[in-house]
Amino acid sequence: MPDRRMFWRIIRRLLGANRGRLFVILLALGAGAAVTAALLNLQVDAKRRLTTEFRSLGANVIIAARNANPGEPSTLSDELLQEIPSTVEGQRVSATAFLYFLGGMSHSSGPKDSTTVVVAGKSPATCTVGARLAAQMGFRLQDELWVENRNRQESCHVTAIDSTGGAEDDQVSIPLDAGQRLANQPGRISLIQLSVPGTPTAINNYISVLQQKLPDADVRPIRQFTEAEAQIYNRISGLLSATVAVVLILTALCVMAAMTNVAMERKNDVGLMKAIGGATRRVLRLFLVESALLGLAGGILGATAGILLSIWLGKAVFGVAARPRLIVYPVSVALTILVAIAGAYPLKRLASIRPASVFRGE
Amino acid sequence: MFVRLVTDSFRRRPRHKLLTGAALALGMAVATAALSVSLDVGDRLAREFRALGANLLVTPQADSLRLEIGGVDYRPVNAGAYLYESNLSKLKTIFWHNNIIGFAPILEVPVHAWTKSSQTLITPIVDAPTNLIGTWASQSVALSDGGTFSTGIEKTNPWWHLEQGRWFIDGSAECVVGKSFARRDGAKLGDILNIEGPHQNIPLRVTGILTTGGAEDDAVVVPLAIAQQLAGKPGQYRQLYVSALTKPEDDFGRRDPSSLSPEDYERWYCTPYISSIALQIQQVLRVADVRVIRRVADGEGRVLTRVRTLLWLVTFAALLAAALAVGASSAASVIERRTEIGLMKALGAGSGMVGFLLAAEQLLLAVVGGGVGYAVGILLARVVGEKIFGAAPQPSLFVLLLIVGLAAVVTLLGSALPLRRASRYEPAPILRGE
Repeated sequence: MPDRRMFWRIIRRLLGANRGRLFVILLALGAGAAVTAALLNLQVDAKRRLTTEFRSLGANVIIAARNANPGEPSTLSDELLQEIPSTVEGQRVSATAFLYFLGGMSHSSGPKDSTTVVVAGKSPATCTVGARLAAQMGFRLQDELWVENRNRQESCHVTAIDSTGGAEDDQVSIPLDAGQRLANQPGRISLIQLSVPGTPTAINNYISVLQQKLPDADVRPIRQFTEAEAQIYNRISGLLSATVAVVLILTALCVMAAMTNVAMERKNDVGLMKAIGGATRRVLRLFLVESALLGLAGGILGATAGILLSIWLGKAVFGVAARPRLIVYPVSVALTILVAIAGAYPLKRLASIRPASVFRGE
Repeated sequence: MFVRLVTDSFRRRPRHKLLTGAALALGMAVATAALSVSLDVGDRLAREFRALGANLLVTPQADSLRLEIGGVDYRPVNAGAYLYESNLSKLKTIFWHNNIIGFAPILEVPVHAWTKSSQTLITPIVDAPTNLIGTWASQSVALSDGGTFSTGIEKTNPWWHLEQGRWFIDGSAECVVGKSFARRDGAKLGDILNIEGPHQNIPLRVTGILTTGGAEDDAVVVPLAIAQQLAGKPGQYRQLYVSALTKPEDDFGRRDPSSLSPEDYERWYCTPYISSIALQIQQVLRVADVRVIRRVADGEGRVLTRVRTLLWLVTFAALLAAALAVGASSAASVIERRTEIGLMKALGAGSGMVGFLLAAEQLLLAVVGGGVGYAVGILLARVVGEKIFGAAPQPSLFVLLLIVGLAAVVTLLGSALPLRRASRYEPAPILRGE
């Protein structure tokens, strides 16, 4: 159809007529698309990454024995460890089991002056001494330490001195199996600490699943951390969403204003086309198609740049490249096309102009 | 003549100028909003992290090791050392006293506690000791400068919630009981709880039921003065929790202060790192051992640093996009004026003159558009700030200057390229319409 061929030919000429102008429009649209794609991609990823980052706060869930009598330490079977779901939403849950008892600690074997301390049998196995305890008893790294209880003895080499500011500073921790032998409680543990990643809702779900699965144990969140995490998470994700929304809206408006400005310069072209017999509708369609094509090109270029940008940003902030989300790509391209068309739409007002007045230079 | 040319250009094409200005204002609004939020948010976020509670723990230097398993301390009552309550107001005299947002002393005493609702009227139903925690609910500490500072356990342990009732009034014969204790004992609000301590017995009225999700659910919380009376340690406490606003520790903050040069030490001392605040507290409380609760402090530092970097990068991306869009818009406005430039040159204007004229126009737009954009951006930052933190960021002169400067630079840069090309135009072909 010659008509259609003519249409595309005009479009080609419109686009190719002024390289500088084309470049400028693509730059504006591309910048908008890049920031849209980068922020959308980063926003989803950053929130997820943030919940992982919270795990630097340590354990947030505790499984303890349902104690019948206070003051009487009660224990759980260590087979519970196998029943704990090891992942939540694809992220690993780390579990640490403890068995606490009072034992005598000393520098060497044999029945001599030992100090009574809280001993924690711990799995995964460690051999660490709390900072305060180490200072008081003069323990250093690599020293051999002996723990005795009820005439049994175990020893290990100190691999770390723990300074936590918590109860661990006064404790010594040894491998769980050694602890179980010393306390004469084979296969028993006092509690399990879990570090559960994920959003506050995911953590709560995980806890209720666990409560159903382990009816005999007392599964509870460490409220100091779960509550603070939830509050901080909500604030940060709210902040991020709000900032991203504001930036996106303003960027869209800014690009639209720039596009409108450029489109309004087309007054002469519209006048000329109408003068040689172009119907208003066809002329308008011509310019809208041109804008849409520009939007498409700017969007594709910009979104690619944006996704690359977000991968780099993710690496810069969290040390792990943000995973590009495919949905972000078409969304930002579509948004760019919409903005480009909306920017050209005021040309519709030019439909009412009379060609003659344009040529007179009015 | 120059002024006339510029005003004429604005008057002749008001819509174009309006649109270029609008693009500029919107771009600068993006920049302002992102910048104000990032500048402001650091301190507010740090405050949010205080929801984690205390990040410093003060204990007596000579204190014995804690022998605590499952919330029960197996230490003999008389073992260990204590600190004096009267020294606490000194905490607010350290260099970073404004960063200390709360502290609460703790004195724990093993007691027997029971109410009338217990099955046996005179003896506790279980023979195991109950942990009694003496602390401040909400205490006004008189400061040396004449003011007072209100603090208490709710500031250092924000996850302690009252399920029912209210906190006790400090110094009165009232108490708050843990949820599990209340369930076991049957204690209700208004009941009289009998406390049998190592030295004397005291009846207390139950004013609230506490839930913490931890060992305190099995405990009884009483005013510090009551616990001191029960333990026979008037005016003393054993642990102090301090919640302080800190700057996340960087490489410099982690260095050993004793290895620093005098100037570096000064800088370290005058930065609110958790370790320098700990040292300052140690200096005023003397015989105390101030320990950083690493779990809270390190976790907070890490997340905070990440979030700040993230926000700065978002701001940077926003600035970049705004700059590109605005630059493109001003470039477009110059490109379209080829005919005008040709005409001016034909009439005898030099390239410099033409460039100067256009630059002046752009600068005028930049100042006006930048100003309007700043106002819009501050408004949006206010909305975001109020919605999320309940407090608006302060408008700052620095941001205003930065934004107007940025607008000027971006518009000039945007127009520079087409202007350079324009200076090479030969007027004749342009006027012929080629």
